[in-house]
Amino acid sequence: MLRFIIIRLLQSVVAVIGIAMLIFAMVRISGDPALMLATATSTAEDIQRIRVNLGLDKSIPEQFWIFVTDVVQGDMGESLFKKQPVTEMIGAALPNSIKLILPSWGVAMLGALLLGVLGATRRDTFLDNGVKFIAILGQALPGFWVAIVAVFIFSVTWQLLPTSGLGGIDHYILPVAALAFFLLPGMMRLVRSSMLDVLDSEYIKLARIKGLPERQIIWKHALRNALIAPLTVAGVLFAMLITGAVIIEIVFSWPGIGWILVEGVMARDFPLVQAIVIMVAVLVLGINLLVDILYAYIDPQIRLQKT
Amino acid sequence: MQEKDSDSEITARPVARGLSRRARIVKKLTFIIPVTILSLMVLIAIFADLAWLGFPDVRLAPYDPVKISLPDRLMPPFWAEEGSTAHLLGTDKMGRDILSRLIFGARISISVSLLVILITSFVGTVLGIIAGYVGGRNEAFLMRITDISMAFPPILVAMLLVVSMGPSFLTVVLAISLLGWAPYARLIRGETLRLREADFVAQARIIGTSPFRIMLRHIFPNVINPLIIIMTLQIGLLIITEASLSFLGVGIPPPAPSWGNMVNDGRNLVDTAWWISTFPGIAIALVVMSGNFFGDWLRDKMDPRLRQL
Repeated sequence: MLRFIIIRLLQSVVAVIGIAMLIFAMVRISGDPALMLATATSTAEDIQRIRVNLGLDKSIPEQFWIFVTDVVQGDMGESLFKKQPVTEMIGAALPNSIKLILPSWGVAMLGALLLGVLGATRRDTFLDNGVKFIAILGQALPGFWVAIVAVFIFSVTWQLLPTSGLGGIDHYILPVAALAFFLLPGMMRLVRSSMLDVLDSEYIKLARIKGLPERQIIWKHALRNALIAPLTVAGVLFAMLITGAVIIEIVFSWPGIGWILVEGVMARDFPLVQAIVIMVAVLVLGINLLVDILYAYIDPQIRLQKT
Repeated sequence: MQEKDSDSEITARPVARGLSRRARIVKKLTFIIPVTILSLMVLIAIFADLAWLGFPDVRLAPYDPVKISLPDRLMPPFWAEEGSTAHLLGTDKMGRDILSRLIFGARISISVSLLVILITSFVGTVLGIIAGYVGGRNEAFLMRITDISMAFPPILVAMLLVVSMGPSFLTVVLAISLLGWAPYARLIRGETLRLREADFVAQARIIGTSPFRIMLRHIFPNVINPLIIIMTLQIGLLIITEASLSFLGVGIPPPAPSWGNMVNDGRNLVDTAWWISTFPGIAIALVVMSGNFFGDWLRDKMDPRLRQL
């Protein structure tokens, strides 16, 4: 197990370096980042100054080394427009994003478990069809559109809830519901199908033969095993969570990471965008690593077979 | 798991004589309606105008999608009180005809999706077959990259590219493709692993066929079915991704109409001009739903094993 963890950890470190190189290259695709920063009024001298300032006058390997050491030391540079260290901006926005993401994730997960299990156990009934319908709708309607329509109905027409911004509990209801609705269908489908697989297995039959109450079979024996499948796609779910959060933050003017990210893109503030992308990349790798370890812990076949 | 698809489960029951009449009709409809909608959309996209054939004045769309006409701004659809049949679905805040923009938006959404599907399926299939057939250390490495790519939000890649290259059609295609090959690689690798052990591959190897030829002539034809299924299932996802990017302002740059940026145009006007955001949203939902239904239908027909997709 230790050997497994160490190998995976090393692989992740290699991946971080790979991603850092990719990001480094992508920012320089356009040729000269200095020209990007130049305004209409900048002279050739200004551009040269920007170049020296960013270290662009050095050789590519040298630049890459500086980039890597800065990132490792937590120095992501300064925002071009706010003139503020990027890490500070992220630090200020991150708690707001977490305050949005955590409850949404919880609501979606609970809903997915409940509806997925109900759909699987009452297969092809009215309830199951309802669950399938929600899944189809949720996957087809774009998240941003659902959010806008929800604002129109609940905030503009009925004036029940605030349209946007931070605030008390009522400010959370719409964004959390919208983000949860964005995440729900995928998770629900997954729980439903893995639950169906598990319910078909021998040990469930055995539990039934033993005469255990159906409720105990479903919620204890079956669900526990059905939950391993969703774990394998935790990475994909994370990508959805980030995407959803960015969109929902924009619709509801929620001052989180997504909000400053889009602002940064509009202003072509590349240190800021770059820093956020690196942060998410490290998170993605961390989650992958964690899932792998967790999975190997649960299922010994994996840790023995592929190292 | 193999027995789990609905058809075989029903035939497994001794009494059942197949689906009921009603269920069969519903099943057919879940094929006919989506295919009709998708074909219509493709036709609309092709014939939005005929400028590409050299007839710039012949077009399906009633107006030029980017023509600004301020006197006609914020007109509601024709059935509303102040609406007129001149602009069937109304106009936006710059007086541009919504219907025309929807029609030209179809062209953008569909061409982005098709281009991305072509690029990603090609890359993913090549990598998947090689990884699955050759195996070893390279395979493990490739599968790591696949995992990471699948967990990385494409929106962030798009943003990074937009910051460095500026928003354009090409940026969108590149941004989505950069990660989009991963699901193909993963699926095709799995299929290849299974096929590698098949007798016909072993026989080919025994008579001395080169690995390249085995991959091309023996394995590739056998992964075409799952490939087509996943390509179809991707349509919806790609339409949504493109729309989300455009909505966030990192997709197709205005004034070119894209369903995503049309929703964004109407975002701050939902209380006064609901039609600006509503129609493109419905268009997106229609196409995505059709793509998903069509993909599901194909999968049930061609390869029920892939129910998990």
